[in-house]
Amino acid sequence: MKNIVAAGLFAAICGLTVSSASAQDTTLTIRAVEGLKFDVPRFVVRPGTRINLTLDNYDDMAHNLVVTLPNSRLRVVNTSLALGDQAVKLNYVPRTPDVVAHTPVVEPGKAEKISFVLDQEGVYSYVCTYPGHGFVMYGAIYVTRRPATVPALDKDPHVAANRKDDAGHAHHLPDHPYELKYPAVYRTFMPDSGPASIAVGLTPKAAYCWDAGSCRLRYAWTGGFIDQTDHWDGNGKKPTHVLGDVYFRDQGGFPIRLGTADRLPEVKFKGYRLINRYPEFRYLVNGIEVREMIKPLKTGRGLVRQFTLGPVSGPVYFVCKSGDGVKYRPSVGKIQDGFVRLPVGTRSFTLTMIAE
Amino acid sequence: MRNKIKSASRVKTFLSAFVALSLLNLNGWSKPLFPADTITDYYEVETIQMPKGLTAETDGLAVMPDGRIVAGFHRGEIMIYTPKTKTWKLFAEGIHDPLGIMAVSNSEILVMQRPELTRVKDTNGDGVADLYETVTDEFGLSGNYHEFAFGPVKDKQGNIFISLNTASNGAGIFPEVRGKLDTLGRPGRMYSAVPYRGWVMKLTPDGKLHPYASGFRSPNSLGFDANGNLFAADNQGDWLGTSKLYHVQEGKHYGHPASLLWKEGFPRITPRKLPVKMLDSLRTVESVAFPHSRIANSPTQPVLDNTGGKFGPFAGKMLIGEMDHPYLIRLMLETVDGQIQGACAPFLAGAGLRRGNNRLAFGPDGSLWLGQTDHGWAGARGMQRVRWKGKTPLELADMKLTPTGFVLTFTQPLDAATAQQLTNYQFQRYYYEYHEAYGSKQFDKQPVAVTKAELSPDGKTVTLKLGELKAGYIYELEMGKLRSTTQQNLMGRLVCYTLNRLQRNTQANP
Repeated sequence: MKNIVAAGLFAAICGLTVSSASAQDTTLTIRAVEGLKFDVPRFVVRPGTRINLTLDNYDDMAHNLVVTLPNSRLRVVNTSLALGDQAVKLNYVPRTPDVVAHTPVVEPGKAEKISFVLDQEGVYSYVCTYPGHGFVMYGAIYVTRRPATVPALDKDPHVAANRKDDAGHAHHLPDHPYELKYPAVYRTFMPDSGPASIAVGLTPKAAYCWDAGSCRLRYAWTGGFIDQTDHWDGNGKKPTHVLGDVYFRDQGGFPIRLGTADRLPEVKFKGYRLINRYPEFRYLVNGIEVREMIKPLKTGRGLVRQFTLGPVSGPVYFVCKSGDGVKYRPSVGKIQDGFVRLPVGTRSFTLTMIAE
Repeated sequence: MRNKIKSASRVKTFLSAFVALSLLNLNGWSKPLFPADTITDYYEVETIQMPKGLTAETDGLAVMPDGRIVAGFHRGEIMIYTPKTKTWKLFAEGIHDPLGIMAVSNSEILVMQRPELTRVKDTNGDGVADLYETVTDEFGLSGNYHEFAFGPVKDKQGNIFISLNTASNGAGIFPEVRGKLDTLGRPGRMYSAVPYRGWVMKLTPDGKLHPYASGFRSPNSLGFDANGNLFAADNQGDWLGTSKLYHVQEGKHYGHPASLLWKEGFPRITPRKLPVKMLDSLRTVESVAFPHSRIANSPTQPVLDNTGGKFGPFAGKMLIGEMDHPYLIRLMLETVDGQIQGACAPFLAGAGLRRGNNRLAFGPDGSLWLGQTDHGWAGARGMQRVRWKGKTPLELADMKLTPTGFVLTFTQPLDAATAQQLTNYQFQRYYYEYHEAYGSKQFDKQPVAVTKAELSPDGKTVTLKLGELKAGYIYELEMGKLRSTTQQNLMGRLVCYTLNRLQRNTQANP
């Protein structure tokens, strides 16, 4: 007996896993993954193949895997929903001739093996009949002597819709019911920042990430805005991607110091107001209100940050460390030892950041 | 393809003939109904046309004072629907999963998004929000995808309640978190590594956020009953043998141990490592257990029918949504021995609802607005609106425990012959175990004999005597083909009563 391990990688790339020329044993693992999906969208075997299949549950909810005869998946799913109080005992699998083989319910993190032979040619299904899952979570087993007749993945009626998306054919749809206008503001999971971050697209090609947790600008980039496709998919496990080249990345931590230059103040985020679609952030620094509005440089890569401060009795410092990708040009005061010291009584100032 | 279209239109013709026929019979009320009445004779479901290009994962939904509907969607849009004109307008953008909305006025809402509770307001009268003000963000955020936030709901004193989902071991946390990171909170399937994950929080009118009650896993979502009692739904999983509805009271713990880490004075230990017996003794049990898959897989928002009868015969009681079944669930609660407990029953099955009923809100006309989502799990997308058509269906209106059994009250007088047949009341009882593993099987499942069924003189109440009543069990009742005196069918035949406590004067074996 010879085992052929189906290559999951191959399946992921083109959605097609084909066993070798003649009918023999095939061993493969199908993972139940997040978003009501089997990671293998379909596979192909020759008639008479014994299939040793492991269902490995990588998801955070329970699943089973039920192999059904051609054209019977929906019937099996609907029958499973009508099992009533027998459902749990039967692992949500109806006892009908439509079912070729099935695993029990597999808890998250667990795996189960089944073994079965498919003699007749046809398109069989494997489906999770756990209540509510069967309408979206399934794949196809092509039992055929002519693998070349199998249709392209995105045109395959036997493959679940949420698996066709993965082939890269679902990206033509608009993001919103309107054309995105700039400046654009999204609260989302941004990489290399705190989890309460805000992505702001100043123009389609210039953007920054502002961290509402630590009340500060984290990084800025040009060349594009963000891609939220992955983050929007399913339950939002993957972060949003930055599109473009980051030219500034904050190194100095929260930049404003009150009284002394070396003591980090307490900060508290208070929200933002949109002014001509530009967000003006509001936050408290040791109880003093600060407003910050960020605009793009008129020419070249960089930002103009306008600050408005509440009444402060002592001196105010602003950290301008070198090595974070930009040159600083304050509207008042001078840069010394990595700080701008603002003249006492300053209530508003701008800080221009020019990419180096 | 051709054939398909043909047969589809044939089905349609048949259906409209059927509807016409049953309408005729509804007019001739005194005559027996033929063909039999269905739920669509009493309730109609309208599917709302969603804006083109919208991914209509409806996260949050509320009715504004002027009757417009404000809805929040997964991609951050907050949109307002005007029912009269059936038009949509964008109100706000860029919200991170707006899973809860409360209308403050016709130009201002509170939105519960992942990182904070936000006041979103149109201050210049152009119909579009320009102010996004942080109301509270005094809770931790680890960057784990499962840290959803739910609510807000407001009590009569002006306190606002929100609830915070635990994190899932389906993913880790960000290298940077907001709030204090405690690595003791990392182990476990659903975990709480930053403050107040797994808690219901109370925001007092002075703007301070207080931890209120702990022990929640995935508390989607919150609601009040007619007496101002706060309830939270929770989902089957680790430590939850089946999905539940809790009566949330200050200082209490409801069973999912992860959140205990953030309880003041709690020992420095990963709570799930404590003996199950000890954890069991710390918890307050649910008011309602929803038998898994039989009633609900994932219950959602509890909402009070405060329509005063505009939505049919269930005014004053609560409904709750459900993600995986194309129906809602009616709740019939009572106080027994000082604790709220009661029954749940599928409602509007077959009425044309989709799955994924995540948010529910009553409009001023008494119609029920439903926001539907899937969010990577089972469900559906979009919005539907349910209207009562004015005739009273035959339904179980209430189920109450007695010392010897249950009293069932129906919306219509019952046909005496069928109502007194004992075989029309099939009881079983079972319980779900409190343990760490995901879900639970049904333990000690036994049929329970009905020894007597007594019909009241007005025909609306059946008093059932049971062979045995035992605390700590779910009593599942499947009713037979009961009919009203006017030959209406009983719409919902399944009901499950969570019997935590017996009445004080109950004998051990009545």
